[in-house]
Amino acid sequence: MFLAWREIKHSKTRFALIIGIVVLVSYLVSFLTGLAYGLAQENRMAVDKWDADGIVLTNESNLNLDSSMFDEDISDDITSPEMAELTVSSNIVRIEDSEDTEDNIDVTLFGIEEDGFLNPEISEGNSFADGTVVADQSLKTEDGLEVGDTLKISGQDRTLEIAGFTENAKFRVGPVLYTNVDTVESIKYDDDQLSENTAYPINSIIVRSDEDLEDVAVDNEDVEVYPISEFINNLPGYNAQVLTFGLMIGFLVVIAALVIGIFIYVLTLQKASMLGVMKAQGISSGYIAKSVIAQTFILALIGVLIGFGLTIATGLFLPTAVPYQNNYLFLIATMVALILFALIGAVFSVRTVVKIDPLEAIE
Amino acid sequence: MNSIELKQVSKSFKDGSKTIEALKETDFSVQPGEFVAIIGPSGSGKSTFLTIIGGLQQPSEGSVFIADQQFSELKEKERAKRRFKEIGFILQASNLVPFLTVKEQLMLVNKVKKSNIDQERIKKLLSELDIMDLADKYPSDLSGGERQRAAIARALYHDPTVILADEPTASLDTSRAFEVVEILARETKNKKKATIMVTHDERLTTYCDSVYIMKDGVLEKKLEE
Repeated sequence: MFLAWREIKHSKTRFALIIGIVVLVSYLVSFLTGLAYGLAQENRMAVDKWDADGIVLTNESNLNLDSSMFDEDISDDITSPEMAELTVSSNIVRIEDSEDTEDNIDVTLFGIEEDGFLNPEISEGNSFADGTVVADQSLKTEDGLEVGDTLKISGQDRTLEIAGFTENAKFRVGPVLYTNVDTVESIKYDDDQLSENTAYPINSIIVRSDEDLEDVAVDNEDVEVYPISEFINNLPGYNAQVLTFGLMIGFLVVIAALVIGIFIYVLTLQKASMLGVMKAQGISSGYIAKSVIAQTFILALIGVLIGFGLTIATGLFLPTAVPYQNNYLFLIATMVALILFALIGAVFSVRTVVKIDPLEAIE
Repeated sequence: MNSIELKQVSKSFKDGSKTIEALKETDFSVQPGEFVAIIGPSGSGKSTFLTIIGGLQQPSEGSVFIADQQFSELKEKERAKRRFKEIGFILQASNLVPFLTVKEQLMLVNKVKKSNIDQERIKKLLSELDIMDLADKYPSDLSGGERQRAAIARALYHDPTVILADEPTASLDTSRAFEVVEILARETKNKKKATIMVTHDERLTTYCDSVYIMKDGVLEKKLEE
């Protein structure tokens, strides 16, 4: 530490440049982590909001919510500590009176039972009723809608009034509108006179379990209960996004390690004759190597902390439309990975230190 | 007691099919408080001789003893440890660490040894060498003479048995060179060190107790004139 820190203090510009590189890389990495996490969240937040353990879908659905359709009566074949029916419909809505197609919003309608556990907590306004919805908060923060505003369903004459807002209700990167099953079905089938005699299919039954789905049984050949995590991984595009970002972040961490490693290596080569003299004086390779490692650690730590700070600061100033979200656990994990990989990069230099022949420094 | 003792030490290198004898069989010893100069033309084997004593390379035949203990046959790691403890090096130009102040050069010794920093001893040593004012300066801010005095302080600080000076005056003008050698002689006497100075400048040997001449790998004692 003694040598490492003194040298940084003495050659401020040189080390400031190296720290600068680390700052940029860690800024980029942690910012990407935030974006990746934010985007992933927007895919699945509404699902996480269910706080459920399993989802019942048809065998043929390929775990796709929209293509799973079955009769409501199937709920009789399911035993579970808690369950709730869900009917969905993907629609486009527009603020009433607006003619501008740029105001179109892709939404997912969740048709739920008022007394079921899927009914979300209201952050503003009231719960839904026939023809009214509880909307995701983003319709307020991003699209400027208020309680009482009316949304027109694209391609239909129907309208929906916003009765209230709820937080974190995004599904497949779009806002969710919660309402009752009848409202969703009338929109879905574009029919106001739903026949009493027809059994309209629902899309799924969400179940809660106390024992890892062990206590959930399905006595029907057409449907199956899937763990929520499997369902999330099969959301269209979700896995591809997560993997793409994950790979990018992973590569960046490795590249950062290489860059830092090369810098430290060049610095060590530059100092070779001085290190040779030190070794001639009997200062062990171990001591010098430790100092190189300590130096790398200091540089990486300072750089990463500044990059971290910049990320948090940027997060505060981003427009709400950017799907950015800090997850401190992920952020800290990537930061730790950056520092660890930087230290691995410094190991090249340790080899150089060990190989320096003090004899050459003297002669 | 001998601080340094060489018993039938020789060193030869293989250069292709030929064998070059850099140092022919030599017996040599230095007592505590003795200041020895080794002169000779470049390429005569002076540096080889010095590096063998310093344990930076091993002799082909024979043994080196430091403070009456076997030194040259120790393993590299052990030798480095002993070197750190027993030998102070003073080299041609700068064996100072460029990013440490004069004071920190000495403190580094404590850091490596994991011992406490002896501020009193640092002060005393720097005052003796008349570089107390320069304690917080970096090597690049010092003149050549000041740098060599700092290097002497660094070499003396860990209280070694032996001081090896390889052309310590090479980068200095005549008056500075004399000053540095005089200090070296004084510290050798006061602190009972065994000092070997390799130089090509014969005038500097006036401060030395004995002078050896190295020629083609043969070390000969120069007789008093």
